[in-house]
Amino acid sequence: MKTNNFTLTVVEGIATLVFDIPDSKVNILNHQSMEELNGHLDALKNNKEIKVLRFVSAKKDIFIAGADITEIRSLDDCDRAYEIVRRGQIILEKIAYLPFPTIAVIDGACLGGGFELALRCTYRVATENKATKIGLPEVNLGVIPGFGGTQTLKALIGPSKALELILGAKYINGAKALKLGMIDACVPQGYLDFKLEAFTKAILNPATREAILNKRYKFTMVERMFPWLITSVAYKTVMQKSKGKYPALLAVIDIFKKTNGMELTRALEYEANTFSQMAVTPESKNLISVYFAIEAVKNEKPLVDKEALLPIRFTSVIGGGAMGGGIVWLFAKMDLLVRLYARSFDKAAQTLQHVAQSFEFLKKRRSLNSREVDMKLSLISYGTDLNSFGHSDLAIEAIVEDVATKKQTFKDLEAVMRDDAIIATNTSSLSINMLCEDMKHPERFVGMHFFNPVEQMPLVEIIPSKQTKLEVIATIVALAKKAGKTPIIVNDCPGFLVNRILLPYINECAKMLDQGESVERIDALIENFGMPMGPFILADTVGLDVGYKVASVLSQGYGERMEVSKLLDRAYNELHLLGKKANKGFYLHEGKNKKLNPEIELLKSGKIRFTDEEIVDRALLVMVNEAAYCLSEGIVKNAQHLDVAMIMGTGFPPFRGGLLKYADAYGLEKVLHSLLRLRDKHGMRFEPAPLLRELAHKGSTFYKGIR
Amino acid sequence: MKHERIAIIDGIRTPIAKAGGLLKNIQAETLGAHVVQELALRVGIDYDRYDEIIIGNVSQPVHAANIARVIGLKAGFGESIPAYTVHRNCASGMESISTATAKILSGQGEIYMCGGVESMSNIPLLFSPALTAVFEGLFKSRSVAEKLKNISHLRPAFLKPIIGLMQGLTDPTNGLMMGSTAEILAQDFGISREAQDIYASMSHNKAQAAQMAGIFAQEIVPIVYDALRGKMMMDDDGIRYDQTPDKLAKLQPFFDRKNGTVTAGNSSQVSDAAAAVVVMSESKAKELGLEPLGYLSAYAYAGLDPSRMGLGPVYSTAKIFKQTGLTLKDIEIIEMNEAFAVQILANLKAFASVAYAKQHLNQSTALGSIDESILNIHGGAIALGHPVGMTGTRIVIHLLKALRQQNKNRGLATLCIGGGQGASMILEVS
Repeated sequence: MKTNNFTLTVVEGIATLVFDIPDSKVNILNHQSMEELNGHLDALKNNKEIKVLRFVSAKKDIFIAGADITEIRSLDDCDRAYEIVRRGQIILEKIAYLPFPTIAVIDGACLGGGFELALRCTYRVATENKATKIGLPEVNLGVIPGFGGTQTLKALIGPSKALELILGAKYINGAKALKLGMIDACVPQGYLDFKLEAFTKAILNPATREAILNKRYKFTMVERMFPWLITSVAYKTVMQKSKGKYPALLAVIDIFKKTNGMELTRALEYEANTFSQMAVTPESKNLISVYFAIEAVKNEKPLVDKEALLPIRFTSVIGGGAMGGGIVWLFAKMDLLVRLYARSFDKAAQTLQHVAQSFEFLKKRRSLNSREVDMKLSLISYGTDLNSFGHSDLAIEAIVEDVATKKQTFKDLEAVMRDDAIIATNTSSLSINMLCEDMKHPERFVGMHFFNPVEQMPLVEIIPSKQTKLEVIATIVALAKKAGKTPIIVNDCPGFLVNRILLPYINECAKMLDQGESVERIDALIENFGMPMGPFILADTVGLDVGYKVASVLSQGYGERMEVSKLLDRAYNELHLLGKKANKGFYLHEGKNKKLNPEIELLKSGKIRFTDEEIVDRALLVMVNEAAYCLSEGIVKNAQHLDVAMIMGTGFPPFRGGLLKYADAYGLEKVLHSLLRLRDKHGMRFEPAPLLRELAHKGSTFYKGIR
Repeated sequence: MKHERIAIIDGIRTPIAKAGGLLKNIQAETLGAHVVQELALRVGIDYDRYDEIIIGNVSQPVHAANIARVIGLKAGFGESIPAYTVHRNCASGMESISTATAKILSGQGEIYMCGGVESMSNIPLLFSPALTAVFEGLFKSRSVAEKLKNISHLRPAFLKPIIGLMQGLTDPTNGLMMGSTAEILAQDFGISREAQDIYASMSHNKAQAAQMAGIFAQEIVPIVYDALRGKMMMDDDGIRYDQTPDKLAKLQPFFDRKNGTVTAGNSSQVSDAAAAVVVMSESKAKELGLEPLGYLSAYAYAGLDPSRMGLGPVYSTAKIFKQTGLTLKDIEIIEMNEAFAVQILANLKAFASVAYAKQHLNQSTALGSIDESILNIHGGAIALGHPVGMTGTRIVIHLLKALRQQNKNRGLATLCIGGGQGASMILEVS
C-alpha cells in the first residue's frame, strides 16, 4: 500500500524528511507510518548525495505525539506484542546507522515513541514554544518505553535522570530539556529557521561539532561505579508512592537494573520483552481505558459555539473559607480579576493568607516567580459589602450549606448584579433546582462544585438547573477547562454524582465498624485496594461535620438506602468529633502522626468480624450499585464520564480503570450475586439497581451498556 | 475650551503607615493598584470607559518607571487604557487631578482615574560616586590583576550610603533641606518652638478625635500588608493618642541642632500610602446619573522663593482668589497641608498681613485672617503623615468628605511645595 505520511526533499545535500499524516491534527507512530519510515530509511542509507538529514513535523505544536494508543490497547498476546515492538526498535535503530548525521527538529509535543525516534537521531534541536514538551510518559498507560527509550535516554542523560523522567512520566519543556542534556539546542520558535541553518552548518564543521558534542552529559562517578544504588533508591521511592500497584514502574526499574553493562541488542530485546509483558496486564488495559475516558470527556462537543460563550473577566467569590479561598486562588492564578466578599476584613485577611500560601507553594516549586505571584495577588480585591458587584461577570457562592442563607445571598446578588451575569453555587449537595426557585433570573444560575482542596483536586461537577441557559453551562465548562480542571456535567440530585456515590461507601464502612470491625483493618484493606486513603482517614480529613451534613442530606433524599450509620451519628452528635481540624476523629492526630481514637470503641454496638473479601465488597459494591442508579437516572452521561469523575474527584485508583470498569472486570453477574447475598445479610440498601440486574442478565457491561 | 466644574465622583485611600512600618514591604505601585482597583470597582463605570490613568508620585521607583502604567495594569485595567505619571513634588497627587481637568476641559477625554502614591519606606539608599567608580572599574576589568587593582581603590568611607530620602527632601538649587526652609520661616516670622509644639500637639488631638469618631474610616480602604501571615491594616498609625506640648518639648531640633525649633515632632511624618479619585466633567456625571462626592471649581499653582517654599499656599491662594473673585469669607473649611507646624503658623501670619501682601503679592489688602476653627479640622500631616506624592489627593478627598459631614459647601485645599511653589483648589459639595 502506498502511503504519503512522509515527504523527502534534498537541497544541496541537506535532506529534510517532513512527517505529516494526512487529514490528522497529530503525527503518531502507527503501523502504517512506521513501515513507510522504514522504506525511507532503507532508501536513504544508499543516497550518497546527502550530508545531513533533518526530521521535521508539519503539524502545528506537535513533533510526534507518540505511538498509536489504540494499537497498544489491542495487544492481547505477549508474543505478538514482542514482535511489533521489536520491529519498531529495529526500524528506529536504522536512523542511528545512517551514513550521515541526523537532526530531530522538535517544535511541539515530542512524546513516547516520538522522543524515542528523536533519541535515535545524532542531534536534537527544540524550540521554546510553550507546546514543546518532551518526555517518555508510557508508564501512564501501564506500559514502558519500548522503542529503545530506556537504553537511548539512559545513554544520553545518565540513569538517574532518565529514571526520574520515565518513572515520573514527566513532560519537559525546551529550556529544561537543554539543561538536562536531552537536546543539543533550544531556540525561540520565531528564530527556528535560521538557527536551524546555523546549527546544521555547525555540525558539518568538525571543530564546531566537537564543541556541541562536548556539552553532552557525562556520567557521574556514582552512575559509572554504583548504578545499582540508583535503581535501589528509585525502587524505594516507587514502592512508597505507588505501593507496588503499578507493575510498569517496577518493570522500568528492573530494566535499568538488568541491562547494566548489557550489550545493546540484548538490552533492547530485554526492553521489548518487558514491554510485551506489560502491554497485556490488566493494569495497562485499565489505564488505557482511563486515558480514553479522559480524552472523551475532554473532547466532549461544546454545548454552544465559541462565540456564544459569555465573557468572564470580573469574578466574585462569596465566602472565604477553605473552598472560597481555593476558588479565589484559582481565579487569580488564571489572571481573572477576583472580588472577595467576606463577613469582615479579618476574615478577608485569613482568606488572603490561604491564597498567598498556595501561591507560595507554586513559587517554591518554581512554577511561578515572585513577580508573577505579585501580579496575580494584585488582581484580588476584598470588601465587606456587595457595592462593587455590578462589574461581576460571574459570582460564585461558597458559604455555609444552609438553604435559607444561600437563598438570601442569591437575592442580594441579583439586586446588585447585571441580569446576564452568572451566579454559581459551590454547594456540595443541596439541590440546584431548589436553590434557584426564588430567583428572578434562574436561567443564569448553575452549580459549580469544586472539590477540596481546590488547588489539587482536578474535578469540577457542573450542575445545571432545569432552567439554566446553555450558554451559561458552556461558559462554566470552558472556565473550568481553562483553569486546568476536568469539568463533568452532572444532573441535579442530592449529592450530585461523586458525593452521592462516595458517601454511601463511607457510611457502609462506618456500619461495618459499628458491627464490630476495626478502623485500622478497614482502612488498610481499602488502601490495599488502591484508594488513596482509607475511609476513616478520609472522613477525618474532610471533617466529620461536613461528612455528617452531606450524609444527612443524602439520607433525606434517598431514604433507607442511605440511612446515616448510627456510629457516624453518635461520633458527631455525642462525641462531637470533627476530625483532623480538631486533631480528633476516628484517629487522634498529632502533626503528621496518628493513632486510633479509643473513644470509637465505645460506640460500637456489635463484635462481628468480616472476611477481607466481604469488607472490600461491602465498601465497593455499595458504590457500584449507586453508580448504576446514577446512570439509569441520567445523572451523568455515561460510564466513562462517571469513572473519570470518580478518579478525579475521589482518587479512585486509575489502575482499576474506574469504579464501573472495576465492576465490569469483576463481572456484573458476580456483582449481582454478591449484592443479593449482602442484601439478605445486611439489608435492603444492597438491593441491586434495576440497571445492574438488566446488564447482568444480558451478560453486558457498564461500558457496553444495553444494546 | 469648556468652562464647567469637574466632578469628583468618589475618592478613597489606604491607611497611612509610618515609614519603615506596616506597609514597608509593599511597593508604591502595589499601594496604588489597591486603591485604583477598589475605587474603579466601587464607582462602577466600566473599566474600558476610562480615558486615562494619571498618577502623582514623587520618588518614582526605579523598578517601576512610569508608575501610573504599572498601577493601571496591576489594578486590572485593560492594556488599551493609557497611563502616565505626574510630578509636582508635594502637590503631585493634586497635579494628577488638575492635569485631568485640563484634559477634560480641552476635550481630550472624559473620564479619568487620578491619584497619588508614595512609599517613602522604599526610597533607596544610594552608593556614593566614589564607590560607584570602583564598581564601574570592576565591571570593566578583564583580568584578575585588573580587578585587584580596582578593589585596592576601595576606602571604608566609600561605603557610607547617600540616603535617597534625605536627598529628595533637599532643594538642589539652594542645598536646603525642607526642614531648614521651615527654620527660615520661624526666623522670618519669629515663631517660637513652644508655639510650634502647641500646634503640633493639637494636630494629634484633632486627628485622634476624628479617628475615634470613625471619620477617617470613611475614606480608608483596608489593605492586606502581609498576605502570608494574613495581616490587614485598617487605620492610620501615625496619630499619637493624648499628645501634649510637654511631651513634644523633649525632642531635639533636627535640622539645626544648636538653635533650631523644628523637630521630628512638629514636622509632618515620613509615611507610605496611596489615594485615588475618579474625575469627569459635571455634565458627564449628570449624563451617567452619578452622584459626585463634590466638584473642583478652580485651581491655581504659583511659584515663590524656594528657601521659603512653606509659604506657597499664600501665593497660590492669592492667585485663585484673583481668578475666581472669591475671598476667605467664601471659604467654609480649609485643608492646608501641615508640612511643618511652623509653616502653618507662618502662613496664618502672612495671610493676615497687609505688609506681606503689598510686598510679595502685589496687592494692597491682606488675604485675610484665617479662622483657625475651620483650618485642618481633623488634624493633618503632622499626625497622619505626609506620603509626599499622595497627600495632594488625600486632602482633596478629605476636604470634600469633611464639607459633607459638616453640611458646608465650599472649601479650600492648599499645599506648600518643595522647590518653592504653592497649590490651591476650590472644592464644592453642591
